[in-house]
Amino acid sequence: MESETPSPNLLCSEDESSLNEQKDENLEFCSVSESDCEFIETLFQRETSFRSIKIGSTRSRSKCCRLDAVKWILDTRALFGYHHRTAYLSVIYFDLFFARTEYSDGIPWLVRLLSVACLSLAAKMEECRVRALTEYCVEGFKFQTNVIQRMELMVLNTLEWTMGSATPFTYLNYFVSKFCGESRHRQVKLRASELILAVIEEINVVEHRPSVIAAAAVLAAYDYRLTKTTLENKIEAVLSWGSLEKEHVFSCYSLLQEILMLKTPKTTISPNSLSNYSTVISRDSIKRGLTFDDSSQVHKLSKR
Amino acid sequence: MGDGRGSNSGSNSNSKPEWLEQYDVIGKIGEGTYGLVFLAKIKLNRAKSIAIKKFKQSKDGDGVSPTAIREIMLLREISHENVVKLANVHINHADMSLYLAFDYAEHDLYEIIRHHRDKVNQPINQYTTKSILWQLLNGLNYLHSNWIVHRDLKPSNILVMGDGEEQGVVKIADFGLARIYQAPLKPLSENGVVVTIWYRAPELLLGAKHYTSAVDMWAVGCIFAELLTLKPLFQGQEVKGTPNPFQLDQLDKIFKVLGHPTQEKWPTLVNLPHWQSDVQHIQGHKYDNAGLYNVVHLSPKNPAYDLLSKMLEYDPRKRITAAQALEHEYFRMEPLPGRNALVSPQPGEKVVSYPTRPVDTSTDIEGTISLQPSQPVSSGNSMSGAMGGPHVMQRSMPRPMPMVGMQRMQPPGIPAYNLASQAGMGGVNPGSIPMQRGVAPQAHQQQQMRRKDPGMGNDWISSTTEIEALLRIQLDSRIRWSRSGRISKGRQDLRSNQCRR
Repeated sequence: MESETPSPNLLCSEDESSLNEQKDENLEFCSVSESDCEFIETLFQRETSFRSIKIGSTRSRSKCCRLDAVKWILDTRALFGYHHRTAYLSVIYFDLFFARTEYSDGIPWLVRLLSVACLSLAAKMEECRVRALTEYCVEGFKFQTNVIQRMELMVLNTLEWTMGSATPFTYLNYFVSKFCGESRHRQVKLRASELILAVIEEINVVEHRPSVIAAAAVLAAYDYRLTKTTLENKIEAVLSWGSLEKEHVFSCYSLLQEILMLKTPKTTISPNSLSNYSTVISRDSIKRGLTFDDSSQVHKLSKR
Repeated sequence: MGDGRGSNSGSNSNSKPEWLEQYDVIGKIGEGTYGLVFLAKIKLNRAKSIAIKKFKQSKDGDGVSPTAIREIMLLREISHENVVKLANVHINHADMSLYLAFDYAEHDLYEIIRHHRDKVNQPINQYTTKSILWQLLNGLNYLHSNWIVHRDLKPSNILVMGDGEEQGVVKIADFGLARIYQAPLKPLSENGVVVTIWYRAPELLLGAKHYTSAVDMWAVGCIFAELLTLKPLFQGQEVKGTPNPFQLDQLDKIFKVLGHPTQEKWPTLVNLPHWQSDVQHIQGHKYDNAGLYNVVHLSPKNPAYDLLSKMLEYDPRKRITAAQALEHEYFRMEPLPGRNALVSPQPGEKVVSYPTRPVDTSTDIEGTISLQPSQPVSSGNSMSGAMGGPHVMQRSMPRPMPMVGMQRMQPPGIPAYNLASQAGMGGVNPGSIPMQRGVAPQAHQQQQMRRKDPGMGNDWISSTTEIEALLRIQLDSRIRWSRSGRISKGRQDLRSNQCRR
């Protein structure tokens, strides 16, 4: 948000700044103990709700509104200095809300109000310090705090108060140590984080298990041109996973590949080069700016 | 969760909220930083007592309190005989306050210990002590195997059921500070108050941030000792202040009984912030080891002593776990622990009758329940005329945010959304937020959203009053919004304009 210029590169600076942001995730290498594995296994089992939900079959989802909402959540997360996982968790709430109600996600004010409520709730779950509701600003609306609170209650009730979902960030350490060992762990973790944040704009997060997204992101961050066999061998390391999970990781990995490829400049980027990565992301913004995000420029302007 | 109804009828300020109608409230039984607790009976089942905990309203502008969210979330997920059972969640519509209904427990360890110390003047019998500890560990083992750390165990949070089918069953309560712990993979961050200092583990006192379920086991050790001696084991003077000041006196009390911790016994000790920064006080002072056995009057050979000392192990990694403690020899020797901690199955054992919880009948729950919106009605709302009179729907003032470089047009009376027929809208259950009934006709007039020129802007300007009203009505009547074709059309126009550019 540093840039005021309404250029297609608007998002670039944000991505770079969040890429350099090191307070967020624990980047130090942690060896994974037996108890960690046990914990991860427990979390795998708890993820079942992510598969059972059928979405989008009965009604078309409004892509624009969702994308705007997700972008707003990501921007605000960066602005407030919240953790990446807080943003992801808010998007889980957001997608679950529409999965469990029949409200239209094509109503701008409802979508905006919902994104505020979801981010605020996620922050209350994950952050030590949360911003006052008055600080959550969206373009075009000024929601009073009691309205946001009512929406929070509506979300809490719709989600039946089960707010403690795992996010892909929960698994980063685990998969980095499983798939990549100690080498480049810091780099891989950073890139995987960026990929996870990029992919939530594309997918409905309740249709994908967080662990699958984490695994695919770590693999893609490690090397985005792995063969299927190599992938398969890597995934073998996750003992409890069967063919179903493998398939899911494959499809998620190819989605990430697609995201990476689409944004790859003509000069081939070396999979190890972190510096090229930010270019990749900014290309992404270019693409988005033209295709989906018709309003991002307007938003940026109107913010101030 | 929730009963799905329970609203007050807005214009009638004398009536009870609907959710309250199912209870006969006896009076107030507790008050704390979290809010108030009331004792109530269920009208349809007078034998059943319920504790209704009212959450203190969070500071204005903070929304739903994080403590409430975490506590309810955890309580919804857990189910164990030795953990308090959440029977219902009620939302008071007018002021959006939250009420949790729990199965009522007549006693708690704080009162039981106090009764023995001040009234009976004799120790708690062995059977009761052992049964309480056994059940407490069972509940804790359940929580820990579900990766939940309680973080605030103390005698007043350990409840014991009174007369009835569950008599003498121990229940762990008050999950306000509890949270799912995220293993060493994702270190728990410090967020404010953690554990009353008398029961606070030494690693926390020394500033550890990566702590584990072992903090609960330390607290259990302190509670065990207190059951044996009727006195808090480490009664330090709390240093007030924020955030989390260094509690030197509490550490001093611990070291006096357990001796000085050494790096030999606790290798990670040197990494703890306060250990490093407060060398002069805590490392410099030499303590004579008074001996825990002297304090609790147990022989070092006694299995009870052995278990206690394992709970009070300095190094959290060496401290006994709940699962290990349940396997301890202490629980396999007579008297064996039982489900009814208060009444021993052995004939001839004297049964202590504990006093019931004092009930303050002068405080009426209804006096504490707001039947009116928490904020005064603002004037100047263009919609207020249509609503008329004091009405719960009238709340906040809309303050549309100025949009730079854009003119806002307000074409009168353009319906933005169509309300689908209210009939046949089954299947939509957005939860059980209590809603005001019978406002749909008025609401219908509220459907008009001011709209900007679709060619210029991309947002609809809504007043908060409208949003709030609509949210309520949506919830109440389960109305489905049909999408307005105009929005997407407007967006497409805008997009194609941009592309052309």
